[in-house]
Amino acid sequence: MATHGAQAARFEQTSFAVGDKKLGMWVFLASEVMFFTGLIGSYIILRWGASSSWPAPGEVLNVPITAGNTFLLICSSVAMVKAFASIEEGNQKGLKLWLLATIVMGASFVGVQAYEYTELVHHGFTPASGLYGSTFYAMTGFHGFHVTMGVLCMIWVLGKALRGHYTQENHQGVEVIGLYWHFVDLVWIILFTIVYLI
Amino acid sequence: MATTTAGPTGIPVREEHHPQPFIRKYVFSTDHKIIGIQFLFTTLFFLLVGGLLAVMLRFQLGFPGAALPGGSMLPETMAPGGIILPEFYNSLVTMHGTFMVFFAIMPLLVGVYANYLIPVQIGTHDMAFPRLNMISYWLFLVSGLVMMASFWVVGGASGAGWTQYAPLSASPEASGVYNGQILWCISIAIFGFSSLLGSINYVTTVINQRAPGMTWLRLPLVIWALFITAILGLLAVPVLTAAVIMLMFDQTIGTTFFLPTEGGQPLLWQHLFWFFGHPEVYILILPAMGFVSEIIANGSRKPIFGYKSMVFAITAIAFLGFIVWGHHMFQSGMNPALGMSFMITTLIIAVPSAIKVFNWMATMWGGAIKFTTPMLFAVAFVMLFTIGGLSGIFMASTPVDIYIHDTYFIVAHIHYVLFGGSLFAIFGAIYYWFPKMFGRMINETAGRIHFALTFVLFNLVFFPMHGLGMEGMMRRIYDTSRYTHLAEVQDTNTMITWAAIGLFASGLYFMVLFFWSLFRGKPAGENPWDGTTLEWSLPSPPKHGNWEEIPTVYHGPYEYSHPDVDRDWLLQNERPDVVSPAHEVTVRQGEA
Amino acid sequence: MSAEHKKPRYMLVWGGLAVLTAIEVGTAFMVRSALSGFGLSEQTMTMLIVLILIGLALWKALLVALYFMHLKWETRALKWLAAAPLLPATVMVVVVLMEYV
Repeated sequence: MATHGAQAARFEQTSFAVGDKKLGMWVFLASEVMFFTGLIGSYIILRWGASSSWPAPGEVLNVPITAGNTFLLICSSVAMVKAFASIEEGNQKGLKLWLLATIVMGASFVGVQAYEYTELVHHGFTPASGLYGSTFYAMTGFHGFHVTMGVLCMIWVLGKALRGHYTQENHQGVEVIGLYWHFVDLVWIILFTIVYLI
Repeated sequence: MATTTAGPTGIPVREEHHPQPFIRKYVFSTDHKIIGIQFLFTTLFFLLVGGLLAVMLRFQLGFPGAALPGGSMLPETMAPGGIILPEFYNSLVTMHGTFMVFFAIMPLLVGVYANYLIPVQIGTHDMAFPRLNMISYWLFLVSGLVMMASFWVVGGASGAGWTQYAPLSASPEASGVYNGQILWCISIAIFGFSSLLGSINYVTTVINQRAPGMTWLRLPLVIWALFITAILGLLAVPVLTAAVIMLMFDQTIGTTFFLPTEGGQPLLWQHLFWFFGHPEVYILILPAMGFVSEIIANGSRKPIFGYKSMVFAITAIAFLGFIVWGHHMFQSGMNPALGMSFMITTLIIAVPSAIKVFNWMATMWGGAIKFTTPMLFAVAFVMLFTIGGLSGIFMASTPVDIYIHDTYFIVAHIHYVLFGGSLFAIFGAIYYWFPKMFGRMINETAGRIHFALTFVLFNLVFFPMHGLGMEGMMRRIYDTSRYTHLAEVQDTNTMITWAAIGLFASGLYFMVLFFWSLFRGKPAGENPWDGTTLEWSLPSPPKHGNWEEIPTVYHGPYEYSHPDVDRDWLLQNERPDVVSPAHEVTVRQGEA
Repeated sequence: MSAEHKKPRYMLVWGGLAVLTAIEVGTAFMVRSALSGFGLSEQTMTMLIVLILIGLALWKALLVALYFMHLKWETRALKWLAAAPLLPATVMVVVVLMEYV
């Protein structure tokens, strides 16, 4: 169709030069930065105002396990990027395998976090444990929620990949879920540092 | 009808040649025009709700302690014997603000007109993400219903003000409201999500789907305004969402973000809320300014004066809007150096707004003005918004604000910009685009009556509030008779209440007129206002998919009185030499 | 849609991220004793460590954004779009922190 051709060419001429779905995802991620700013910014502000009574790193939280979990999430990001690289070369098998790896690692990350939560609650550390508890659970909880949503979306993308939906020419869905996944990893990189190490 | 949704990779989407069932076509529609109209009907309903709440609270102020007519129908917890209780009064004030800001004005400006106008003005078939668009509407409806539901739960609706300051909002023990508070938070969180989906759509569509020839500086100012507004929404609303969730956690799971007894910071809530809240008020005015630019250019038969400076002003207002929020908090005890910085930035932001006002006036200067109903509302906007803006200058100055903060002076300002500004522009937009949306005209005479009633009554209600504020009448108070210094202004309050009842009645008149015109309005052609933007080249209403073939744009959006053309308007997709060219230059010079 | 560029060395970036994470954890717990010999005050040491940790975290974040999220090869407009929210975010946090200064 002439209209499709005309429209398909058009995004190349914008200063962003990306298709709708990718642009939409970046726009969404910009808003997510502001959402996490609300949570993380509040943490920084509350802590600055109460710094004398804040527990030292490792006093309450389990840093070694979480450091390992951080590494796991980073690995899942690599798996995601390998999945994308696979379909860029038309490698369907690579796409499916690496997507599966990402899902497994992402789900494990959530699992380890859930385990950490149960341990903490068991030791009496809950959201009602003052500002430390409030900020910890709010930030990591919402991050974990975002990871969970990411895992669910990725399962859906894997489903489409298994049905051969993606090709070397058309794999916007893979790229877009990848962007979301890397963003979630990026937020964790910041969170891990300021919540667990500082 | 063919469904053509172009994917950016060129993959054609399945075309449908069979008619869709009613539910798919009108209820769960992905057509941006239907979604815009769904927003329109829903928000007009919420506008009525907000207005009714205002009349009720005005009744208490005008006739303190009297029984509300029909008030005996209300439960004992709200108004025993029809006499409004203080707690219920607080809920009325809170909910009036909440419904008007979130469920009436914001969606009327954005949900209706961003959805309806963006594709037809930039020249594309639909939004970039039609299904997300549909979800955005349904989330909005759900959030509105959740807010309505909060009236009927045990403890009643939230009474902490639409600004929900902690610790009153965070502590059920302090406010006496538990479920209603939680529902307020849930409703706003859902609303935030709906707004986000909308913003993603608007930004992506405007960037990626403009018709060939539609460069950035050829976009109608409505689109610029809606685009910048969407960016504001993207950056500001998520902060509110985060804050509201933290507030809900404080109320429910024992966190202490804003509760001072456990180390929390009530001031943090204020900062978070107003960091959102200030860009929010620019979300509430920028699209309105866009409508006014369209209508004034059209009604003056002249291009907008200073198109580029208008674009600059819109962007400057949006940018500066992020660094003025502290002016809502001058009395909070915040760092005085901060206070001074906010005062300076707030005074600066008056400049781009003034640029716009002067540009509108310059547009009208020397124009062949036609005072149609939309034009009346648009010109009134300029006047009333200016008054609201001028009162803003008083408030921007910290020393003055220390005196007038939380008085009726502020209430006067809010309503001059939100009602005299935004709502007047919305009325203008409704009259202006009604023919395009529904293929019928709203009767001019009936519309002018609506305008006259609204204009006179609006000023009777809100202008005296400047004086009331100066006299020291505080905001949100329940019983004016308890304050000796307010005894002398009781008559003014009563007069305002009568005018407010009249204003509400004129709103009802408009609703009747609107619905009557849907069925009995005079059939409208493609371009009843002789407009120049792309939507006026489409049938009224446009078909699903808008265009078979995407138009090409040849020039800017306000080519009124083009010297090379016979008639005084030129559509964006028309070339002057092809369409009705002027016969001879000398003939035109001889004309008046 | 894919720009013409060398295929990014994803494994190299992964290695970098792993190393940086290890350095971070080390800094948080072990550097304090290593630095104590320099005679710095408690406050200065803490501040130094915090700055180093934040710097490392930002470096990791930048690696993920530029290489995994492909930003290095995107247009300038998209880079600006990605970076844009950082400005209001910084403004909000810095300005509110001034309440405590």
